[in-house]
Amino acid sequence: MTETVVAAAGSGWLRIIIGLIVVLLFSQLNALFLVWLERKVAGHIQLRPGPMEVGPHGILQTIADGIKLVGKELITPRSADRILFVIAPVLVFMPVLVAFLVLPFDQHLIIRDMNVGLLLIFAFSTFSVLAILLGGWASNNKYALLGAIRSVAQNVAYEIPLLLSVMSVVLMTHSFRFSEIVAAQHRFWFIFLQPVAGLIFFIAATAETNRAPFDIPEAESELIAGFHTEYSGMRFGLFFLAEYTNMFIVSAVAASLFFGGWQGPFGFSLGLPGLVWFLIKVYILLFVLMWFRWTFPRVRFDQLMNFSWKVMIPLSLANLLVTAVVVKLI
Amino acid sequence: MLPKELLTDFLAVALFVAVGVVFAVVPLIISSLVARRSSGVTRDETYESGMETIGSAWIQFTAAYYIYALIFVAFDVDVLYLFPVAIAYGGYAIRDLVEVVVFVGILSLAIVYAWCKGVFEWQPKK
Repeated sequence: MTETVVAAAGSGWLRIIIGLIVVLLFSQLNALFLVWLERKVAGHIQLRPGPMEVGPHGILQTIADGIKLVGKELITPRSADRILFVIAPVLVFMPVLVAFLVLPFDQHLIIRDMNVGLLLIFAFSTFSVLAILLGGWASNNKYALLGAIRSVAQNVAYEIPLLLSVMSVVLMTHSFRFSEIVAAQHRFWFIFLQPVAGLIFFIAATAETNRAPFDIPEAESELIAGFHTEYSGMRFGLFFLAEYTNMFIVSAVAASLFFGGWQGPFGFSLGLPGLVWFLIKVYILLFVLMWFRWTFPRVRFDQLMNFSWKVMIPLSLANLLVTAVVVKLI
Repeated sequence: MLPKELLTDFLAVALFVAVGVVFAVVPLIISSLVARRSSGVTRDETYESGMETIGSAWIQFTAAYYIYALIFVAFDVDVLYLFPVAIAYGGYAIRDLVEVVVFVGILSLAIVYAWCKGVFEWQPKK
């Protein structure tokens, strides 16, 4: 069925507009669902039920929370830098939709299969750390400033292993185009051919999305709320929304790069459509991210930096070289 | 003039960014229309765990990781150069392999150097 719909949409602007509407709906629903799931996972890991009151098993809790957030006053602290303070939450949300432009949900379910797909996602994901730095600094709040500084440190440490691990995959596919990267995994997912790169990517991606055990920019038990201490109401809501949408994007990229995207294992599709395979993988990865958060203690600032520079970067450089040699030999 | 396909790519990205901004701004506007306004002296005070705010946060602050940041800048630019190489890789007999090895080798020396210099040792401030 999806094939006929996609074919009807053609490849021009109609496809982009339809895609945009679907993406808007999907990203909102996805964020609502993920926030609920996070609270449920947290609850069950801590042997409590999590939200139960609003709707069956609390499924409508996030909608109630969202309405509450809209009803909250937007307070700008007196001593803050007003313009930057207001811009930051908009800036953090601005780039998240762009990633969906190139994410491959199925063989034909890519809004626009650009030749720079992978680069586009990494280029736009950089905005989030910029927004965090702006917001944290503009707040003129000590906790927020510390959070912002840590966020930059984290980005400085984990951007490189992330890019290097991706590079190992690109060396094998010779393409940034998502459709080609996924198609190259028809028989073997890259997680079997590139286990080290996959592991490094996942660790670095956890750090890039500021998720525990790398949540030191937020670190609620030491920095109140880190970079968004001064943000209330819907401005906080935007940071939150962007974080959960970014989690989805990171998991989707991991699923496409290392877990075969829309394809089943070893070329067996088991009768499931590609979209289902893709979403299963993405949500399993998202569950793992949540599992991390509620079971691992937070790492210390210097441990975080040194782990990256002493372990992850040398390892990813070595992995890149080995890949380069092996690609030559085959 | 750009090729039509490329132009569509750029415009599509621009459209998605613009809609992202609109989607972020609209709830803020709705919120500022419907939300109740509070008043009081401490309303827009900087939050400091309920204590009175002490000074500004815009002070000189040791970003102890600035040397990491310097290596990062060098590294990030170098990694950038590897992307086109990764695309073209495999098209030449042995030359590209040698060049990648040399390039990554020199890149790795930066880490070895920083390691020997003790950049990765954090001393508590006396």
